[in-house]
Amino acid sequence: MGAGIPAPIRSALVLALIYLFLVGVSSLEAGIKIMGADTQERLFSTVSNPIAGLSVGILGTVLVQSSSASTSVIVGLVASGALGVDAAVPMVMGANIGTTVTNTLVSLAHVRQSAEFKRAFAAATVHDFFNVLAVLVLLPLEVVFGLISGIAEAASELLVGSAGTEWKSPVKAWVKEPVGWLEGAWAMTDAAQTLLGTLMVISGLIIILLALTFITKNMRTLVADRVERSVNAILGKGGGAVAMALGVVITIAVQSSSITTSILIPLSAAGVIALRNAYPITLGANVGTTITALLAALAASRPEALTVGLAHTTFNVAGIIVLYVIPFARDVPVRLAEGLAEIAARQRTWAAAYVMGAFIIVPLIGVTVLG
Amino acid sequence: MVMSFFRKGSDSVGLESVETRSIAMLGDARHSFDLANTALLTDAVPDRIAEDIRSTDQRINQAEQDLRSELVVHVSVQGTADIASVLGLILLLKKIERIGDQAKNILDLAESGVSLADAEDIAELRAENQEVSELYGEAGALLADPETHRAEKFVTRVTELIAIYQTKIDSYMFSDRPGREVVPRAIYYRYLKRIVANLRGIVGVALNPLPHIDYLDEGATDTDD
Repeated sequence: MGAGIPAPIRSALVLALIYLFLVGVSSLEAGIKIMGADTQERLFSTVSNPIAGLSVGILGTVLVQSSSASTSVIVGLVASGALGVDAAVPMVMGANIGTTVTNTLVSLAHVRQSAEFKRAFAAATVHDFFNVLAVLVLLPLEVVFGLISGIAEAASELLVGSAGTEWKSPVKAWVKEPVGWLEGAWAMTDAAQTLLGTLMVISGLIIILLALTFITKNMRTLVADRVERSVNAILGKGGGAVAMALGVVITIAVQSSSITTSILIPLSAAGVIALRNAYPITLGANVGTTITALLAALAASRPEALTVGLAHTTFNVAGIIVLYVIPFARDVPVRLAEGLAEIAARQRTWAAAYVMGAFIIVPLIGVTVLG
Repeated sequence: MVMSFFRKGSDSVGLESVETRSIAMLGDARHSFDLANTALLTDAVPDRIAEDIRSTDQRINQAEQDLRSELVVHVSVQGTADIASVLGLILLLKKIERIGDQAKNILDLAESGVSLADAEDIAELRAENQEVSELYGEAGALLADPETHRAEKFVTRVTELIAIYQTKIDSYMFSDRPGREVVPRAIYYRYLKRIVANLRGIVGVALNPLPHIDYLDEGATDTDD
């Protein structure tokens, strides 16, 4: 993407890419539907266990390095009816954990300078610890009481109607035609139903990933000056609710929590921003990134898709209420991150072991054993 | 603060903002220099001036810290495309901060009891002080509009001044005049020399590729600042 593209053209390009993203989500939904009930059952029975679902969410997000992409795919799966809200919510929680791998990897770039690395690694892992603790508190409440999905369902019902009904989304109607063209193009290969569905799913995934990548790139260029101005405005003026709100706004604008949180890593490493001030910005990024799943739900035909999008938002807001609003709990992720950073700065192999263990080995065990 | 995100981007951000505010820092440094010279070259009581110089110096130091942070933010948000300018600006800020400190050094001289107000060569000293003060303004103007020809003329003039000051320092060092006369002057010219060398460095940031700033063309030795 050329840096010299005028802002109005870039804005129009972003709108076109959002449309393409919605086409991708709808294609994914259509592909899963084409596969038929048996294939769907075989594919998604592994995630009926919440821990396995959580692990799939982590692994899937680590693989694509974007919770926006993975939650959009989850929304598409729910929209197709292949995945229930109960199974999708742990996956969304996993996506929240998985997305933190990006800024943790960014922090490893500072590994050669001990003091810098300690600050950078703490700023990255505070996000990890917050998300893991939020899951530890909220997943049991979700499994036992359906807390998160219950709140999301109530909100979804208010907005678009009850689960199980057909939601006449206007966006769905706008994207219907290109999805039909895509389906028609693959149908010309005379592929069997399952293969046709698979091709549609793959096309949908590619479209979603490409669209999100370019939306993020263009939005980053479009709002870079605004982001810079806002971050400057908040430096040295503390954290709290204002920093959190800024995290929400920046993340919605760039459509990527990883960008927001990764910007904080060099700032933390250089000592420009303190860990306690960076922390609320990452929490805001957690909330801001949920906009993508909500956007994806606009292209879905079932209210359950919106429920999952809202569950993502509810989970992150509930996490903030439990772990940030309560003063005692607020310090826990910060202290854990500082403790791990201390260990990692002394023994660098621990940092690599942590990344491998938390984002690959443990979730793989979760999928293998419980899936 | 959140609303700053939505504000229309009319106010300058990034490097442009740092450049503008570094010129203001240079204005503050000139203010300190003029005051310090008032303490040394007139009958003014140094204690009355000291507070103003010290608070101006604190303002310069704070501005340097803030602007350095903003440069880190700039690279974090915008990527490394501007890295050469960012490194140049960090050097520029450090030089401005240094000449702020050097004004304090002149004040220290006055506060230690030295006064040149009634000296025979006071007219010459004041003229030199005035010339250096004007160089601050010219350096600021060149930072705002780094026109190559004017910048090169500035560098040539300052290089000549540095040589003149060094000659004076040498002559005071080997003078037969009493120490109370020559030592303050040698120290004073040493400060002037360092100040103008830093002003040359400031203009050099706008003029030279980063690896060459502060080094002579032959690369044999670094300049004295």
